[in-house]
This record gives sequence, C-alpha cells and structure tokens, in this order.
Amino acid sequence: MFTRPFRFERADRLAQACDLLREHGEGAKVIAGGQSLMPLVNLGLVQPEVVIDISRADARRDVSVADGFVTVGALITHARLAADPVAARAQPLLGAAAAKIGNARVRARGTLGGSLAHSDPAAELPLVMVALGGVYEITDGRRSREVKAEEFHLGFLTSQLAEDELVVAARVPALGPGWGWSFQEVSRRDGDFALAAAAALVRMAGGGVVESRVAVGGVADRPVRLANVEISLGGAAAAELGSRVGPLNGIRPVSDTGASAGYRAHLARVLVERALAEAASRSGEAA
Amino acid sequence: MTEEVSLTLTVNGREVSRTAGAHLTLLRWLREAAGVTDPKYGCGEGICGACTVLVDGQPTSACLVLAAQVDGAAVTTAAGLLEADGSLGPLQRAFHDQHAAQCGFCTPGMLMAAAAALAGGRRLSRREIRQELHGNLCRCTGYGPIVDAIEMAQEEAGQ
Repeated sequence: MFTRPFRFERADRLAQACDLLREHGEGAKVIAGGQSLMPLVNLGLVQPEVVIDISRADARRDVSVADGFVTVGALITHARLAADPVAARAQPLLGAAAAKIGNARVRARGTLGGSLAHSDPAAELPLVMVALGGVYEITDGRRSREVKAEEFHLGFLTSQLAEDELVVAARVPALGPGWGWSFQEVSRRDGDFALAAAAALVRMAGGGVVESRVAVGGVADRPVRLANVEISLGGAAAAELGSRVGPLNGIRPVSDTGASAGYRAHLARVLVERALAEAASRSGEAA
Repeated sequence: MTEEVSLTLTVNGREVSRTAGAHLTLLRWLREAAGVTDPKYGCGEGICGACTVLVDGQPTSACLVLAAQVDGAAVTTAAGLLEADGSLGPLQRAFHDQHAAQCGFCTPGMLMAAAAALAGGRRLSRREIRQELHGNLCRCTGYGPIVDAIEMAQEEAGQ
C-alpha cells in the first residue's frame, strides 16, 4: 500500500503514450484498467517511475464486424465485452470468456488490451484469441503491425510486445454457419484464476466433425492450441468426440498452491471433452 | 520527490478538491487526502473487496485505480447510502436488522457490492446474490446474514 511515489502522465492518444514509453524506458508502465498492474505495484513487485494512463485515450473500445471478422478495440472493458450484443451475435466465445474473468470490479475496469499485453497463462482472453486464431493489431505510435495470437504470447507474463508498443485491437473470425463453440474453466472459487480452462469450436456436417479449433489455458506458460487434437477429431460423430481427443501435446502443467500438475492435466482433458461436447451440441448438426 | 496533482471528485454528492501525490490510489486519496475513511484497505490485490466503491456507478476496487485516472468522476462510498437526513438507507438498515456486520471491516465493501448488484433493478435469486458477492471476503465468515440482508433490502424495494 505504501508505494514509492511515481509520476503520472495522461496520454490522450496512444501515439503519445508510445512517445512517453520511449522517453522513459524501463521505468515507465502503462495503465488502462489497472487490474493487473496495480496489484503488482501495491505488493511492491513493480516500482514504476512513471505511470502512463491510457484509460481515457482517444482509442478503440468498440466491437465491429466486417467481412467475416470481428474486431474488438483494446480499451473495451471485460464487462462491456461480456454484454456486447454485436459480439454475442458474431462471435459468442468472446463474451463467454470475458464473463468468466475475476469479479465484477475486475470486469468493470479491466481491458482486453491489458489482459493480452499482461500475457498471464491462466487468463481467459488470450486463450480464446489463440483458440480462434486471432490477430492483434499493435502500434508503436508510428507504425502498426499485426501479430498472430499464437505467436504473441511467449511465456509467463511475456509477450512479443516491444517496450514502446501497445495493443490497439484484436481481430477474430466471426462464428460461421454450422460452427458451435464452448468455453470451460475450473477455478477453486468463482473469480479465482483458472486452474485450467478450455475453448473449443467445432463445425459439424453430415454427422461428423469437418473442422475444429481447440485450445487450453492454465496448463503451460502460455495458451496452447491443440493442433493434434483438432486433426484427430476429423470426421468424428458428436458421441465419439471425447474418445477421439488423444494426447494433449504441448501442455506443461506445473504444481503450485492451487493444484498439482497431475490434477491440472486431468482438468485440461476433462474440460476439453466438455468443451467439445458443448460445442458440438451448439453446432446445429449434433446427433 | 513526490509529484502532486490537483484533482476534483464528487464524493457522495459533495465536490472534493485536493492536491496530493500523483501515485495515490483512489483508496488512499479518499482516506488520506479527503478524510473519507469508510472504504477499507484489505489485500491491495482486488480480491477482498473491502475497498469497493462505485465510480460513476461501476463497482470498483479503490485500491486498484489511481485517483488521477478518475479525476472528475462521481464516487459513492458506503456513507453515500445514507438518507438525506443522515438516517440509515434501506441497504444499511437491512444489514443492521439482519446482524450482517460482525467485526465490520468488510461491511463498507459488502454494502457497495450489494448496491451495485441491486442497481440493475432485476430481482436476484439467493444464488445470484452470492455470485455478486464472490469478490468480497468476510473473515468472520458471516455470509449468511449478509445474503439475508440483501434479500431483505431487495424485497423492501419491491424488486
């Protein structure tokens, strides 16, 4: 609580925040919702010299749909994303994941961009972005670039974001005809970090899986897309999805005070199976 | 060297201007600069809910937002639930009548979580009330009477 004093700068535009980041270097931290940064500051784990506030910046915080893609502005809060009617129609997995984040206070202030940049391996939004094959728009105030979600998250609280870059928006495919979706997570109590989570999308046709996307969170140092599971599901009927999952290649669960590595691996499998079953039942083609 | 900023917030309907450290959280600004001591410091991580206030109507962990970020906002604390004549408001009265405060440390946050939950105007089931409170911890474990009190306030409001 007795944080070391720091300077406060309000950025009215993202480009201004990027300039300030270049000016102040490592001592600068960006704050939007503050739901990840401020606990670290209050615990003394992060001691910024300058905090750059982008919460009121003239930047994207809306949901838009064009050409089969849904684009979400980085400054949208979890509560708004969870309640957004455009997102709910175009890609319901986004709101379902946002609704699972923290408690009402975290959702009221926490932002999409903040969660993606923070890159917590148990976080909900990076997981659905990886599952959906999302792309992040990133800026350093002068140039924009796009990075695939799967490549952006490098490890525990580590991403591809350079010191002077910010996430501007995230783009995911809209839910196409015949696709079903599901988000599943287990935490010790509602609002706690997920011990494990799974997101699945399945397209069924002619009684079998035509396409699928499956990813898990909380069981590695980043969200893991389960490409081998997606391949092994090909042609599977709804009733046999669970038995076709096979090994969850790429997961590396760890033991901590929340759960053992073995229990996390068990949860990941159960949640993948539940997510696939629910996604198949929503695909409109379920047996 | 501490950088100071001048901020004006509307706290429980009263305009408050103070010059204080730019690094102060809303909670510290309220307690140390503005003398509004009903929100409490519990965990500093947004988990316990003892510092819950409404910022422009939204439930907020006052320990996780910088006061400078919300310059100009309207903040409501538990004291803001009082009637104009200083008597207890409906939620406060329900907490009193149901013995929903034991040591009382979590109570200001519980009241504001309840106020945010009931602000929607929709009738909440007992289960939904418990869900709305999952970000607020009571270490006396007096959750039952707290849920009773919120149910009572909701019934009295005709929700």
